[in-house]
Amino acid sequence: MRKTCTGIIVGVVSVVFLSALAADQGSDQSNAARSPWKYYPEDARANKGDGGPAPRRDLTGTWAGESSGAGVERLVPPESPPPLTALGKQLFDRNRAEGGRGGITIAESNDPHVRYCDPFGFPRNMNDQIRSMTITSLSNRTFVLLKFMNIWREIWTDGRALPTNFGRGSDAHDPTYNGYSVGRWEDDYTFVVETTGMAPETWATESGYPHSVDARVTERFQRKSKNDLTLTMTMDDSKLYTRPVSLGAVHFRWIPSQTFFDFSCVPSSVQRYLKEMADPAAKK
Amino acid sequence: MKTKVMMMVILFAALGATDTTSSAHHGAAAFDMNAPVVLKNAVITEFLWINPHPLIKADYTDPKGNVEHWTMELGSTVSAQLIGWTRNTLQPGDKVTLYVWRAKTGATVGRFNKVDFPDGTTMRDTQRGGDDGGRADTGQRN
Repeated sequence: MRKTCTGIIVGVVSVVFLSALAADQGSDQSNAARSPWKYYPEDARANKGDGGPAPRRDLTGTWAGESSGAGVERLVPPESPPPLTALGKQLFDRNRAEGGRGGITIAESNDPHVRYCDPFGFPRNMNDQIRSMTITSLSNRTFVLLKFMNIWREIWTDGRALPTNFGRGSDAHDPTYNGYSVGRWEDDYTFVVETTGMAPETWATESGYPHSVDARVTERFQRKSKNDLTLTMTMDDSKLYTRPVSLGAVHFRWIPSQTFFDFSCVPSSVQRYLKEMADPAAKK
Repeated sequence: MKTKVMMMVILFAALGATDTTSSAHHGAAAFDMNAPVVLKNAVITEFLWINPHPLIKADYTDPKGNVEHWTMELGSTVSAQLIGWTRNTLQPGDKVTLYVWRAKTGATVGRFNKVDFPDGTTMRDTQRGGDDGGRADTGQRN
């Protein structure tokens, strides 16, 4: 009984204390000088609810992802283990992702981004380091602008077909980091993007899933309300996977201020970081 | 006010605040997270405001008079800014007490935990700034 009473008293005192702190913090925030050039994650966190119905065929704006500090959580991680073919397994085994296989360190990793700041490339740049993205459109293209590494993707919406020849010959298309993308509205709230021709030296995920140049990735951007946007990704790459593999789903929330901070991996900085910090920390 | 902010830091650390601004770019597998090493009266030699992680470099003189050259990393510039850090928070010559999760190898490198300034204030890391090695993103200079 005494324990119960004590528990109730502690609970009531805690609620009063937390309320006082919250009121005090709110007062501090409202009084603080604010800059339109700065991103305030607490604003994005405070933007509760769905904000009303989604506008028709419109993804325009700046969105906060899981690494934005806005409390946005990943919906579904990439499928694990991936359904690899023999060749896929051979390529996957070459990729030594940090944290993989019982704890590969940065010093032991051969992740081209971690070691050299190499571009993630697509699709990894849509499922790793999801900080924020801006979406905007012209009459014949939609652009996805990623804040991490200041990357922009170009998605053609003029009805053209994807290229298919990434092999030999003067008419072949050169693989690119972001590949070649086309998009269409499946319905008023779902924009579907197909991409192929991605540079095969890049990883499809942080954990080192490989992809071939002929891989085809399908993205479904579904705007469920003014404030909520979900992206699901599937990769079809029959050379390396026995069936289409899920690359997971990420959630985005509308940022009221439409402002976000800048963050890029800088090669000269990462070399210094590795030499003076990460490699000595792991040296056996 | 100072007390309230300090209590908030403790409270949020205890609740396991889950701000993910600097989400696991690099893990802490290489560091001994059991107890931080305390470098009393360390002298800052360089503060590198770089990505993916800012670096604090400092000289620490042990009780026998031996000088150790330390390097430690913070979460990231962007997440650190959100809790009050700037590229000028530490300056060469500053004498401070540093808490660091040391590399398991025993090298004088580690993951930064927090810094105590001579005026009695403290600043913490985002990802490993809690006294238990957990997040402290909600921490402010208190």
